[in-house]
Amino acid sequence: MNHVELAFRNLQRRPARSILTILGVAVAVGSFITLYGLSSSAYENVQQSIEDIPSDLTIRRSGSAELFGGAVPQALVRQVAQIPGIAAVTGELISLVETDSGDHVLAAGWPDGSFFWQTVPLEEGRLPRQEERRVALVGLDLAGALKKRTGDTITLLGEPFHIVGVTRFKSVIDRNEVVVPLSDLQEVTFRPGAVTYLSVRLAHPQDPAEVDRISNAIAAIGGLSASKSEDLLRNDSMVGLLRAVSSSMAWVALLMGTLMVLNTLLMAVLERTREIGILSAIGWSTERIMGALMLEGLILSAIGSVAGIGIGIGGAYLLSAIPAIGRYVAVQPTIGLVLASALAAIGIGIFGSSYPAWRAARQSPATALGRG
Amino acid sequence: MTVLISLEQVSRDFDNGRIVALRDVNLVVAKAESVAIVGASGSGKTTLIMLMCGIMLPSAGVIRWRGRPVTTPKAWTGLRRTEIGIVFQDFNLFPTLTAVENVEVPMFGALNHSCERKRRANDVLEAVGLGERGYHLPHELSGGERQRVAIARSLVNHPTLLLADEPTGNLDSISGTAIMDLLFDLQRSQGVTFVLVTHNASHARRCRQQIQIQDGRVFEKAPGRLREVAK
Repeated sequence: MNHVELAFRNLQRRPARSILTILGVAVAVGSFITLYGLSSSAYENVQQSIEDIPSDLTIRRSGSAELFGGAVPQALVRQVAQIPGIAAVTGELISLVETDSGDHVLAAGWPDGSFFWQTVPLEEGRLPRQEERRVALVGLDLAGALKKRTGDTITLLGEPFHIVGVTRFKSVIDRNEVVVPLSDLQEVTFRPGAVTYLSVRLAHPQDPAEVDRISNAIAAIGGLSASKSEDLLRNDSMVGLLRAVSSSMAWVALLMGTLMVLNTLLMAVLERTREIGILSAIGWSTERIMGALMLEGLILSAIGSVAGIGIGIGGAYLLSAIPAIGRYVAVQPTIGLVLASALAAIGIGIFGSSYPAWRAARQSPATALGRG
Repeated sequence: MTVLISLEQVSRDFDNGRIVALRDVNLVVAKAESVAIVGASGSGKTTLIMLMCGIMLPSAGVIRWRGRPVTTPKAWTGLRRTEIGIVFQDFNLFPTLTAVENVEVPMFGALNHSCERKRRANDVLEAVGLGERGYHLPHELSGGERQRVAIARSLVNHPTLLLADEPTGNLDSISGTAIMDLLFDLQRSQGVTFVLVTHNASHARRCRQQIQIQDGRVFEKAPGRLREVAK
């Protein structure tokens, strides 16, 4: 018999409690993986969506905190385009709209001639022609979910759109997006002449001084602010809020796991006061007694961690399968996150068992044996 | 005479001095000696034995091991691991461990290899007559067998001093006599110093030295009278 076997024997003594604790740790670790995965995947997916349709600067209504909030007059496109150093400008209107199935999907409106159209990877069909109206490009995943293909009709806010092509962007957001002509989306959303933001391509995007000069020139127009597209998410409060909420929930789950191990081992220590006294009576040192109890905590958390990784990955898959989430976030826990969670579980074991172990080891053997 | 353990003016009180269990006790136990401690219930017998193994520390006085004062819990823990074996009245076995595993437990820290621990535990169980019962859990053993496991556990690290606190207190007379026979056989064969707390006069008489505790004071029993152990 070695220390590990001894610890297992002690844990087997109260199998129901040990199993429940393992489950508690597993749920904590699983929740951590899923929720933290949701948080980081949300960020990465929006970032990837920006990379799908590259631009150098994004112009928004100054003071507007979130990505899709605020509106910019489309007429400003002409004014911005006149700033020296700007190669191309386009407006984009983004809106969540109801489809014929009752689901809400992300719809993007692009003007005729926008450089965005050149970035579209087509799975099938074609791009809308100039001046063509009530036509749509549907993302691959959305087309699959709605069982639509080129030639079918999709209804957006009660208005029929003819699907002329299916896109295959990399980002899960764009794979679930409908792209329509800007004027059509402005019309069905009752936002004539408005876009959500402007995207700019620069003649010399690598020149920081040039980027600053152009950003200042845009700001000078009044009511506008320009930021590098890759920095867009850093200042976005919606993504920030999502990350903060899911991260907080993840840490709370982890804290609960720690408390669960602490509670279990504290109960075990109280129940086994006499046994701990016997260990001391037969020559076990304080350190060895502490080590033995902490090993029990580590075993509980290690088993819980392995189960939790399974729960976390399963949870991520289930979350992604929920249309309301899966259309915007593909929850994919990374190996780094899984390893970090496993380390966190070890932390649960150490922190959760250290106090009960310390309490057990510091009690006098005479008291433990009922002789004090 | 080689002195193994000695108590000098040792007192032990409880409840902030309101209860005095032992008062100014002086006691010398020589190596390979057998000592019986007798006395009425509550006289302080168990307190004395707890002091002799450091499970309890004295309120006053000095306890010496081979002439050196032992004062810290850590030092006592080291002695209990290597030099002192204890047998309790109520066995104090670990209920989830088999007899062999119970005997292995004191060797953690004293012997690193689990195979060696297991081999030695089996040997000691064999010596106490439980060679065939090693893989049984305590609840599958009789009272006498449990006490044999406890004795095996106390002897497995080859202690110099064996303290037995009413080892037959929970056994019937036949099992009790068998256990005492075993303890005295082992004491003789292994040259272990043996301190026995007992209520049983016949068991006490088998020890070379008899100590009576009365009202927290220790007396050496001499024929017809009690002589307080002098410093």
